[in-house]
Amino acid sequence: MSDTISKTVFHADNITKTFPGVVALDEARITLLEGSIHALLGENGAGKSTLIKVITGVHQPDSGIMTLNGQVFEPHSTRDAIAKGVGVVHQERNLIPRFSIAENIFLEKLSAHPMRPINYRQLFRDARKWLDLLGIDADPSLPVSRLSVAKTQLVEIAKALSLNSKILLLDEPTASLTSHETDTLFAILRRLKSDGVSLMFVSHKLEEVQEICDQVTVLRDGRNACESRPLAGLDRQAVVRLMIGRNEQIPDWSARDRSGEETVLELKNVATSLGHKGIDLSLHKGEIAGLYGLVGAGRSELAKAILGKYAITDGSVLLHGKKVEIKSVADAVGKYRIGYVSEDRKSEGLILLHSVLENVGVPVWRRLANLFAPLTNRAIREHTEPYIRKLEVRTPSLDQNMGNLSGGNQQKVSVAKWLAAEVQILIIDEPSVGIDIKTKAYLHELIRELSDQGTAILLITSDMPEMIALADRIIVMNDYQVRGEISNTRVYDTMSQGIMNLIQGEDMSAEEAAPAAS
Amino acid sequence: MAIDVRHNQSDAFKDMMANTSQQDAPPRFSITRILLSNEFGLLVLIVLFATIFATISPAFLSKFSLYALGRTAAVNIMIGFSMMVVIITGGLNLSVGAIGVSAAMFSGLLMESFGMPWPLAVAGGLAVGAALGAINGIIIVRTGLHSFIITLATMSIFFGIMIFLTHAESYRGISPVFTGFGRMKLFSIISPLLLVTIVVALGLSVLFRFTALGREFLATGANERAAELSGIRVQRMITYCHMLSGVLAGVAGLMLVSRTGAAIPSMAGQLGQDWLLPAFLGPVLGGTLLTGGRVSVLGTLLGSFLVTMLTTGLLLMQVGAFWVQTYLGLLLLFAVLVDLVRRSYLQRRKLI
Ligand SMILES: Nc1ncnc2c1ncn2[C@@H]1O[C@H](COP(=O)(O)OP(=O)(O)OP(=O)(O)O)[C@@H](O)[C@H]1O
Ligand SMILES: [Mg+2]
Repeated sequence: MSDTISKTVFHADNITKTFPGVVALDEARITLLEGSIHALLGENGAGKSTLIKVITGVHQPDSGIMTLNGQVFEPHSTRDAIAKGVGVVHQERNLIPRFSIAENIFLEKLSAHPMRPINYRQLFRDARKWLDLLGIDADPSLPVSRLSVAKTQLVEIAKALSLNSKILLLDEPTASLTSHETDTLFAILRRLKSDGVSLMFVSHKLEEVQEICDQVTVLRDGRNACESRPLAGLDRQAVVRLMIGRNEQIPDWSARDRSGEETVLELKNVATSLGHKGIDLSLHKGEIAGLYGLVGAGRSELAKAILGKYAITDGSVLLHGKKVEIKSVADAVGKYRIGYVSEDRKSEGLILLHSVLENVGVPVWRRLANLFAPLTNRAIREHTEPYIRKLEVRTPSLDQNMGNLSGGNQQKVSVAKWLAAEVQILIIDEPSVGIDIKTKAYLHELIRELSDQGTAILLITSDMPEMIALADRIIVMNDYQVRGEISNTRVYDTMSQGIMNLIQGEDMSAEEAAPAAS
Repeated sequence: MAIDVRHNQSDAFKDMMANTSQQDAPPRFSITRILLSNEFGLLVLIVLFATIFATISPAFLSKFSLYALGRTAAVNIMIGFSMMVVIITGGLNLSVGAIGVSAAMFSGLLMESFGMPWPLAVAGGLAVGAALGAINGIIIVRTGLHSFIITLATMSIFFGIMIFLTHAESYRGISPVFTGFGRMKLFSIISPLLLVTIVVALGLSVLFRFTALGREFLATGANERAAELSGIRVQRMITYCHMLSGVLAGVAGLMLVSRTGAAIPSMAGQLGQDWLLPAFLGPVLGGTLLTGGRVSVLGTLLGSFLVTMLTTGLLLMQVGAFWVQTYLGLLLLFAVLVDLVRRSYLQRRKLI
């Protein structure tokens, strides 16, 4: 133990928590030190979020003891935990969509004095401070519902930071951030650490963990695979072995060129009602084309315009060489066989109220049902199960409510649903957000297999290694325009440099286009 | 092992899912699940109150009393269904009464003034129900306004137009075959109307469980944005639900015509408001989520039946009609509280 000087601030001993059919935590232990960043790692469903929820009073443990500064700590609600100096950023967004950014950030403070009139000028000014700190370029009076997924996540972080907690628990705060925003966040976390704050950090991106954390706890099936030990001396593969019991598989796919195949989708000089201009883009049979860009480049929006959710105001869309007008998402899915995996699983990808089976089957219901045979769960199960199985979705049964699955497992279902849909063109938006490294490899295999079977795939991801592992060709977007494209040599350094050069172009301000850290 | 209820699961998958939990997974048809369900709670309440009523007033179990109870319940359940199919979309339909009466009046008109055979007249009435429901649905999806506002307005409009066209007169020239249906007794206690309701209930169950359409209704109600991006025509689904609501309201109206032998403009009260209480109580007691996306056909059936039974029982005990509403309200509050206690008890015992 090198860090013997640091004081223990928090300790959880033998925490057990069960849900019907699931032991989420099985005598889990963790110790947090002052001025330290503690990594909490584990596969999807290992119990990380559950532990955080127990510490912050969302769940009451079945058994076990927690101490805070040497005293017994039994928070009965989040508010109680906050009052005792424990702040949290949960994995799922918990903001109020119709409230402004500023109101959301200061919700706790405002609700402490419900009768006091709100000074909005002051509120917006205070919020501005936090937004600037995190580099969020948005008006504090804007309702949160108008923000992108990444910005919503940043607002959530700002909200937690504004509480000035002595202990701050961050559950996958970087899941939907690009490397640029992550760097900004890490600078803040380092400063908090040197101020003596005790931080806990959950992430499936091990590069990040190794960059910023000093202590580590690994959970496996709710039990400690290791407890509160220094990260120094553990290399990436050692951490991976603790998490999944074996080494990481790194696929070694050679570069592939599918540009000779039939052009399945082509955009010519397309403009949309959202502000895209002069978009030229083509996608070939059996190809994986990557669409890269910084947050706010307009990639997801372009995907939705192709699907018919937003209007295309100029130019033409060609499917198999024929000009088409896609009027609704239903047409895109039913008639033209185009699918879209949303980056926002909670509000656009899944129906949390319904079961796993009901979610995964939505796109195939119409095809499996006909006048003479009823649509049975059995038929849906037969059709979708191979994908659920391949992605190792952890659930006590397929009848489990979607909302009870861990975040990463929800994400798996949201992707599996479209992999099973047998579409001709699949647009995949940030597929591996929150998915553990083991399943990520399986997911990549599935995507690659699908393209080998002829599906044309447009991959949107901010995860540069993922992009370089999967894409045959990378199209770079910025500011609602296509900046250029390069074919993927699968050499990480030259590729990421090439992509960043395209993003920066001539007219970008140098500040915004900070190069991505690997 | 609990998981082997499901068929066709490869062993690897079973193992994987079993490994997830050190405990057994909750099986689909476990006793605790049944005990916890809303439907079971309602069944208990129905038995409980039936026993109380039968003890206080033996007439409650007489053949005639049971027959009348079934007949009234048949209509109330249908009214509950009519609201239920809109609640699942996260909306509501305040115009159920107005639509039901309008449909019934139209059938009455077809039979009396045009001398149409009753099956055609019934079809005509149901078509009016569907059309009025479609009007609701189309306005709601086009304007994007909440169904509360729209159906509040159409309630007055539909009812007003109906009164204007019929001059507030009743149609009494109803086909005797049709009215005979509402007065017939099977095995001396069962009303054919109850059979109609049961057939409709089965139909709705099949719709929500075994058809893509029914599942798409529920998906739309649970998360409209996700449903749309999954390729569901959400606007059309909402419109269909309102049409279905109109048809079911029409069926309820026609059942009343068959029972009373006349189509009367005031049969659902001013603006059809008398139907609102049964319309909401059935689905809500039955566990249909007011926010949409979850349905229980059996629950609505039992919920509406319970409400009907409470009303009948109280009237039988000669509680003044004036007090019935008050008692009904209190009993419902009691019922909901009992349900709450039952759930939290089971939850604390970790049975959920
Ligand atoms: N409210 C709940 N009801 C039932 N089961 C639950 C509930 N919350 C969590 N679980 C189960 O507990 C287990 C642990 O979940 P948890 O969310 O802690 O995982 P996690 O480690 O955070 O995973 P991820 O990396 O996917 O976020 C999972 O199997 C999950 O399905
Ligand atoms: Mg989690």
